[in-house]
Amino acid sequence: MNDTSIALVMFGGMLALLLTGQRVFAVIGFVASTAVLALYGTGGVEIPFSAAFKLFNWFPMLTLPLFIYMGYVLSESGIAEDLYRMLHVWFGRMAGGLAIGTLVLMVIVSAMNGLSVAGMAIGATIALPEMLRRGYDKVLITGVVQGGSSLGILVPPSVVMVLFGMIARQPVSQLWLAGVIPGLIMAAMFILYVSLRARANPALAPTVSDEELAMPLGEKLKLLRFGIIPFLIFFAMTGLFVTGFTSLVESAAVGATCATLAAAVKGRLTLTMLHQTARKTLGISCMFLWLILAALAFGAVFDGLGAVRAIERLFITDWELTPWQVVIMMQVSFIVMGMFLDDTAMLVIVAPLYVPLVKLLDLGFDNQLIWFGVLYTMTCQIAYITPPFGYNLFLMRALAPKEISLLDIYRSIWPFVAMMALTIALVMLFPQLALWLPETVRGR
Amino acid sequence: MPAALQLYVRLVDRLSGYVGVVAMYLIFVMLGVLLLDAVTRNVVDYPLHWCIEFAQFTLAAYYFMGGALTLRDNDHVRMDLFYDRLSPRGKARLDLLTAVCLLVYLGVLLFGSVSSTLYAIETNERRFSMWNPPMAPIKVLMVCCIVLMVLQGISLVIKNIAVLRQERTP
Repeated sequence: MNDTSIALVMFGGMLALLLTGQRVFAVIGFVASTAVLALYGTGGVEIPFSAAFKLFNWFPMLTLPLFIYMGYVLSESGIAEDLYRMLHVWFGRMAGGLAIGTLVLMVIVSAMNGLSVAGMAIGATIALPEMLRRGYDKVLITGVVQGGSSLGILVPPSVVMVLFGMIARQPVSQLWLAGVIPGLIMAAMFILYVSLRARANPALAPTVSDEELAMPLGEKLKLLRFGIIPFLIFFAMTGLFVTGFTSLVESAAVGATCATLAAAVKGRLTLTMLHQTARKTLGISCMFLWLILAALAFGAVFDGLGAVRAIERLFITDWELTPWQVVIMMQVSFIVMGMFLDDTAMLVIVAPLYVPLVKLLDLGFDNQLIWFGVLYTMTCQIAYITPPFGYNLFLMRALAPKEISLLDIYRSIWPFVAMMALTIALVMLFPQLALWLPETVRGR
Repeated sequence: MPAALQLYVRLVDRLSGYVGVVAMYLIFVMLGVLLLDAVTRNVVDYPLHWCIEFAQFTLAAYYFMGGALTLRDNDHVRMDLFYDRLSPRGKARLDLLTAVCLLVYLGVLLFGSVSSTLYAIETNERRFSMWNPPMAPIKVLMVCCIVLMVLQGISLVIKNIAVLRQERTP
């Protein structure tokens, strides 16, 4: 059996075993371990364990538990309820105002946290029940929360970009900055879509009654103070990092501390709350880290088989693709795999194959890997919300009010997937959308 | 189900819980040490070079020590496209079959970790850095955690068999 067919057997075996519903990390680790023993005998027995020290040396990984912790604290802290009240009053009169306010809320939450968990928890538990009560169309608003919370990984800070940065050896601050404009474009598209739908069919999003919004201007301005805490958290974390005062992992610690302080200010900080948050953080962190550990072992075996060269040969020599066709092929394969694979596993297994290839391609502009990181992150967003396998879908099912069925969730996402794909196409056509901001900041 | 097995499941599950509680509070250790680093460098201008490295060791301890508890409480993601539609008995049957995956992976990790730890102890391995800490302690801890995860994996198997035989889970 030659190396390529071994690689195919490994990949196929992994997909087949994943369908049994065994824990993903166990399946990937099993395939890697048996392949190591079959290929190298007992001499290779240390390979799966040594992945733990590869992971150890990736110190940016420290941001992962800190961001997860911060996300849970933020959603418990009551900051989101205040923000929502503010957005409600300020956007109330617009067509689809509450849904638009929810999207703005999602962007603000995304700017405070690097995962989509926080946005999801806040959207599903605070915004959704409120909008349902006011007779908003459930399919529309389910999509709003799903699409909006996925911005968490594109708008800085972003954990997905930290992972990509480690694998592609690119500076995380540049990747984060590169996500800003595409993230805002995507958010603007979502808002435009909601307001057009609401204008075309007001039954989807009934406007709030006048007496509820009747409020003196002074009161309205006073509500703006609820925006101060989120702004301070964003500045303390992303601001201090981009200006170079704190390192990446330190700024995650600063952010987590700020969120804890904010919860204390709001009187929500109790020992029970800290205990429960620490437990939930451990669960999600262990899930991610064990998955990455197993995927690293898998990746090491794949590497040893020369899978990078095999794919390069396939794309460039056998199929004679142009550089742009190769990039499109990669995006499509990411989206297809993202439907079935967990995105972390996908990143650790597939990115090491694609990143060297992207470096080789001549696309006619600089910083190709930063740009590719943004494209990759957006395909992850699609992967998060597309069935059958998506984090946001699972979270939504767990968190959303009872009257929202699985079918509603599935039906709600397609317009948002289309808008995400459109943003990907825009960033491919105009790479400067992603690259202008990081290049300007670096050039200063 | 024999009393000995019931006792085993109870003991292992409880041990995983204790170790896991210690693990989950390590998040505050990481938070504190990183904050200390940021403050000493920027505010009092006295950089502590060991902080990040200490946090890295803590992260390794964090997810290894949390491994058994998260196995017990089923926190790990599964691809539940088909799995989700099965009855509890169907799930237990499939889990029993695929427990091989988990146990083989953990077994290979255990062999690798033991051989790596023996090497670290024999050669007095140290991490190459300004702080230069010895590697044996974290490796010994990792071996212990993997052993606990294997024990927890066996406990899961026993519980699956109990479900299949329609017995009360201990």
